[in-house]
Amino acid sequence: MNKEIEKLLFNPIRLKTISFLMTVETCTFKKLLEITDSTKGNLSTQLKKLHEARLIKIEKYFLESYPTTDYSITKKGKKSFKEFYKQLISYK
Amino acid sequence: MTKEEQLKNINDAIKQTKTNLKPLGYNLVFWGVVIISMSLFHYFFPQIVQSSNYSSTIYWVTIPLLGMIYTTYYNIKSGIKIGYETQLDRVIKIIWGVFGFCWIFIVGISLSQNVIPTQDILFLLAVVLIMSGLIIKFNNITIGGFALLIFTGYTYFNTDLNLLLVNTIGICFGLLIPGLSLYLHKSDNS
Repeated sequence: MNKEIEKLLFNPIRLKTISFLMTVETCTFKKLLEITDSTKGNLSTQLKKLHEARLIKIEKYFLESYPTTDYSITKKGKKSFKEFYKQLISYK
Repeated sequence: MTKEEQLKNINDAIKQTKTNLKPLGYNLVFWGVVIISMSLFHYFFPQIVQSSNYSSTIYWVTIPLLGMIYTTYYNIKSGIKIGYETQLDRVIKIIWGVFGFCWIFIVGISLSQNVIPTQDILFLLAVVLIMSGLIIKFNNITIGGFALLIFTGYTYFNTDLNLLLVNTIGICFGLLIPGLSLYLHKSDNS
């Protein structure tokens, strides 16, 4: 498995984010804050890293004049998570 | 972070995904109440609804269209409040979106052909209810859909029935009661 991805998912916030996004179609920033139990600044930084690695997609739009952001997992993200999980299970 | 901690983090995150069926229940109840109220109002006050050539058409097209706008707004709002959309939510959204499109299609054809679309709409509604019930594994919705399907089939053979009362009874057993039971049900589908 790609060492870079493994290193990326070693962070609990990034791992929780990817795990949750595996089970849903889209998710808001607010919900991810709740799931990861982190601060806004920290979560933003971790999401940026996941986005840079092309593991997640970010969609920004306006709803009732308010900026809204939706997050979803990419094909690469799904594949990476599956490999990561398989490897994790094999260590048990 | 140890391997066990990593697995715990994955499990904790996955466990938080739950399909919230309350918005679907609310939609079914809303439409049940709207259609039954409209049918009964038309039945008891035909002189008002049918006061001119197009008044009944306007009545049966405008109010459901306003209802569609309201429920779309409600669904967007509740989606934001929940904060995420599961694959099941997406399937249900697509099915009911297609129903809305088909409803407009049937009404359009009926208007152009000058026929009453009640039975066709009830038939379509029954099919969508059965599909929704089977997908979300909620028997009351499936049974309601089948009841509506049988009832609609019966009306094709018995043409003397008043279609406003047919609407009221069909929607009550097919939409309102199952919708209410879904709305009041504690959903824990993941």
